[in-house]
Amino acid sequence: MDSVLRAENISKSFGPIEVLSGISLDLQPGEVHAVIGENGAGKSTLMRILSGHIAPTKGSLYLGGQPITFSGPVDAESHGIVLVHQEILLAEDLTVAQNLFLGREIKRFGLVNDRIMRERTRGILAELGTRIDPDCEVRRLSIADRQLVQIARALLVPHKIVAFDEPTAVLTPVEAESLFAIIRKLRSHGVAVLYISHRLNEVKAIADRVTVLRDGRHIATRGIEGLEPLEMARLMVGRDMSKLYPDKPSTISEHVILSVRDMVVPGYVENASFTLRRGEILGFGGLIGAGRTELFEGLVGLRSCQGRITLRGESVHFRDAREAMAAGIVYLSEDRKGKGLLLQQNLRVNLSLAALDRFSRGPFIDVGAEEQALDEAIRNFDIRTRSRDLLAGQLSGGNQQKLLLAKMMMLNPRIIIIDEPTRGVDIGTKEQIYRFVAQLAEDGLSVVVISSEMQELIGLCHRVVVMRNGHVAGEVSQADLSEDSIVYLATGVHEERAAEIAAGHA
Amino acid sequence: MKAALLKVALATGLMAGVATGATAQQKNVTIAVSIPAATHGWTGGVVYHAQETAKQLEKGYPGLKVIVKTSPDGAAQANALDDLMAQRVDALVVLPFNSDELTDPVREVKKRGTFVTVVDRGLKDPSIQDIYVAGNNAEFGRVAGKYFVDNLKEGNVVVLRGIPTVIDEERVSNFEKALEGSGVKVIDKQYANWNRDDAFKVMQDFLSKHPKLDAVWASDDDMALGVLEAIRQAKREDIKFVLGGAGMKDMIKKVMDSDKMIPANVSYPPSMISTAMGVTAAHFYTNAPMRGTYTLDAQLITKDNAQEHYFPDSPF
Amino acid sequence: MTETVLRRGAERRKSTIDLRALSPFIALVALAIAGALINPDFLTASNILNVVTRSAFIAIIAVGATFVISAGGLDLSVGSMAALTAGVMILTLNSLSGADMSTIAIGMLAALALGAMCGLANGLIVTFGRIEPFIVTLGTMGIFRSLVVWLAAGGTITLRNFELRELYRPVYFGSVFGIPVPIIAFLVVAAIGALILYRTSFGRHVVALGSNEDVARYSGVPIWRVRTLTYVIQGICVGIAVLVYVPRLGSATPTTGLLWELQAITAVVIGGTALKGGVGRVWGTVVGAVILELVANIMVLSNFVSEFLVGAVQGAIIIIAMLVQRSVHRGR
Repeated sequence: MDSVLRAENISKSFGPIEVLSGISLDLQPGEVHAVIGENGAGKSTLMRILSGHIAPTKGSLYLGGQPITFSGPVDAESHGIVLVHQEILLAEDLTVAQNLFLGREIKRFGLVNDRIMRERTRGILAELGTRIDPDCEVRRLSIADRQLVQIARALLVPHKIVAFDEPTAVLTPVEAESLFAIIRKLRSHGVAVLYISHRLNEVKAIADRVTVLRDGRHIATRGIEGLEPLEMARLMVGRDMSKLYPDKPSTISEHVILSVRDMVVPGYVENASFTLRRGEILGFGGLIGAGRTELFEGLVGLRSCQGRITLRGESVHFRDAREAMAAGIVYLSEDRKGKGLLLQQNLRVNLSLAALDRFSRGPFIDVGAEEQALDEAIRNFDIRTRSRDLLAGQLSGGNQQKLLLAKMMMLNPRIIIIDEPTRGVDIGTKEQIYRFVAQLAEDGLSVVVISSEMQELIGLCHRVVVMRNGHVAGEVSQADLSEDSIVYLATGVHEERAAEIAAGHA
Repeated sequence: MKAALLKVALATGLMAGVATGATAQQKNVTIAVSIPAATHGWTGGVVYHAQETAKQLEKGYPGLKVIVKTSPDGAAQANALDDLMAQRVDALVVLPFNSDELTDPVREVKKRGTFVTVVDRGLKDPSIQDIYVAGNNAEFGRVAGKYFVDNLKEGNVVVLRGIPTVIDEERVSNFEKALEGSGVKVIDKQYANWNRDDAFKVMQDFLSKHPKLDAVWASDDDMALGVLEAIRQAKREDIKFVLGGAGMKDMIKKVMDSDKMIPANVSYPPSMISTAMGVTAAHFYTNAPMRGTYTLDAQLITKDNAQEHYFPDSPF
Repeated sequence: MTETVLRRGAERRKSTIDLRALSPFIALVALAIAGALINPDFLTASNILNVVTRSAFIAIIAVGATFVISAGGLDLSVGSMAALTAGVMILTLNSLSGADMSTIAIGMLAALALGAMCGLANGLIVTFGRIEPFIVTLGTMGIFRSLVVWLAAGGTITLRNFELRELYRPVYFGSVFGIPVPIIAFLVVAAIGALILYRTSFGRHVVALGSNEDVARYSGVPIWRVRTLTYVIQGICVGIAVLVYVPRLGSATPTTGLLWELQAITAVVIGGTALKGGVGRVWGTVVGAVILELVANIMVLSNFVSEFLVGAVQGAIIIIAMLVQRSVHRGR
């Protein structure tokens, strides 16, 4: 079949750094073509070249067999190529309909015609299988609904090719399933779908063909038949990834180090209780918004809360994170960029921030000791950076997470709470983080892992507590760990039923 | 001459009030006084005199109530006028921030039948006012200029201006007019905002720039104090004198004490507000209705007449 | 993006000079050259010393403002606070009978204490009232200003004791080894400020707070204490500025310190500190204060700018100085 869009030998350099070299790709109508690769492999750059946001340094594009160059995203759109961005780019204070037609308002006599726009919005949203009110302000929508609005906005343009950049990053499994239904519908209409993701199970479920990039180079393009996630991971990383998760350390003791009873975080958590043992990796599962983050933010004094917290046999209550740190408990936020690291400061300042007392000599900071600690952290945590004077914001997601880990380990904690340890982290770094977490438990520390990735909870944790709607819904012991059991507790319904709901929704 | 006339008028007004106070018909009159807030030495003096006079007048005329209201800027003064009118006043004594902004608000007051006395800064439409008690800014500049011509004969002077306003412009242009044809030349002028610190800085720079100066017209006593300090620091002997203005008590004292650098001053008394309040009260309590314009001439204050202008209790 | 593992020991410290921190100094030199071309008198020692001495108040206050702004705050009340502190200091001196050093010392202590108290008030209201600092300090600006007008009864608060004035006068007009005392004062304040901001945990916490309050909180930084202390430091700096201000004219008026807050903020920004917080440059701030005073000086010394247009030219020069700085950053 003729390709609708073909890229030949595309290269892209930023200054002296070549981020893409000699990539070829062809996209056929009615196929879902996944592009996978680690962070920094060049997926997003390729996507931006194909959708006209940037021009390639070398190589050429062919649209329906004819060579073409795009002057910008608007030009690409006029040729039927639309991109659904990873970040939600909507004006929160405008309504759904206003957002859909932002910059391309339908006018009559020079004035915007709200009635027509509202009707067309309603139509297109119905096509996507949702009943969002066109007059609803976007700020009142859930993240998933906003994602749908963003897709609707992209599909408003007559399209031959739709590119999705990590569309499920903010979606729950049920919501992701309805997105897949939309993608399948697009495919059945003969639209070519370009799908970027590093969630390999999803790729397996939705893609027809897969192109793998690594370090800006084309590694392979294969049909999905017989291509299992494990093999995809091997192609992405370049080495065998069958052992993504380390062996679970057998150091878990019966000694309860922390016990939480009847914890209440107003508005988020009601009567949550759990215990944590020495040398244990305790998972916390559940849907986004189940109250896991808030529970632990309350625990370490970042939110107001009530409840009985017993640490090493003593009743404690922390008024701020400082007190929790002094007691040996650290919390690593899921929001690395917003709450974990100072993106505008360099690595040294970030590393020592939580433990400045350790680096003080008299009233002054000992910069030499800081530099030495940074050297050690770069070595021990394998933080990869072009230069040690880089700002934290210039690191990739994986290296930011390593830096955040290093920062909190400066405090010599006994209990480490990690919220979404591998969100936005590529698979090679994931493996390193998992090994590090296991090592902590082996050293006799206790770790809490809050994660929305069920595979991660199953592969890494001794025990998983599952929350639903602010309550602890139940606990899954090591022997019973399975996706099914976690999903059941997280949603209150069995997986087949969940899939049905998703299907009915779509 | 005119000043003397006014004093007579004021005196008669006050005397009549005091004399008839006990016997006159018990008359309830409310006078509102709207003036700028004390953001500068001179306006501070206005506030002081207004409050003192209010007390005296209320004592002198039974049944008289005087409301003094200060405002930090023109817009606030317009609002204050609205508030005062809501209290049903019989007369308004107003020292407007500026003519343009306050002409219409005062016109509104007048339309309600209120007796209006305007002080110092005239409104754009003189038909609004019943009484106008005016400071004479042109005269202020002229008297100062004449002093330079008479005493310096010839030489180079620098001028420190106030805040860019009509008042400042009238003073400075008439000062320069008075110098015309004489040997006295203005070689530099800058705004110093009627502010001591700014005057100090500007004078320091003048001293760096001009190696030889004969005298300084500081045009205001606050600024004159900053100028004096800058001259003292530079240890410059070439400057013969500094002329300020407005009759600040510290400066009048220096004139009385024959300070070499401050041989004279030009009056622009903040007590003009007292005059205005006095004649307004007199309008209601004496049989002679008071109307028209009273102009207070700027007077040259020298050692001979300094005693008359010295008010040790005033904050200004 | 190519990321390479950094070998230990390779490329230790950067040796290149940070152009960003240098750009205010470049702007200063450029202005000085311009001044010399406009009027040869500009480069006389007495003129230069006058200008730098005059910038002392704003420079000292702006060092405090560097802390507040680096921490993501703002203090609009400094001008009024300076007037109030100066007024109270003079009233204190007037109420004391002696005319010796100890009298002056008591007055100085009063000024510093009042400055610190005013700063503490600002800090506590901002921190515990959780109100925008812009609004809080706008309110205290009015309060401090009114208090000084009230204390002065609308007039002037003057140091009455002549002997005391003469004794105190050298603190502004005196010099040590040819360097005027106010210049020494602001250099010392800036040096201490730089030491605190760059070399102590508190300074690091200030920058962290200004960069991202959430990160600071999640990192266990005592943000309430740090934020309040920045305002206290600002208050103390105002107190120090007043110590140098009072001996100059020996008086405080309702117009003392008018618009100093804007000059201090301008000096801070010219110096390279980000108005949104997270970057603090103490020495840049001091240079910024000198630049402001220099521009005003050049205006008076020049013969071709009408006195009516001085404000416009000043504004334009400041904007051009900032544009030059920005282009230096981009060219990096």
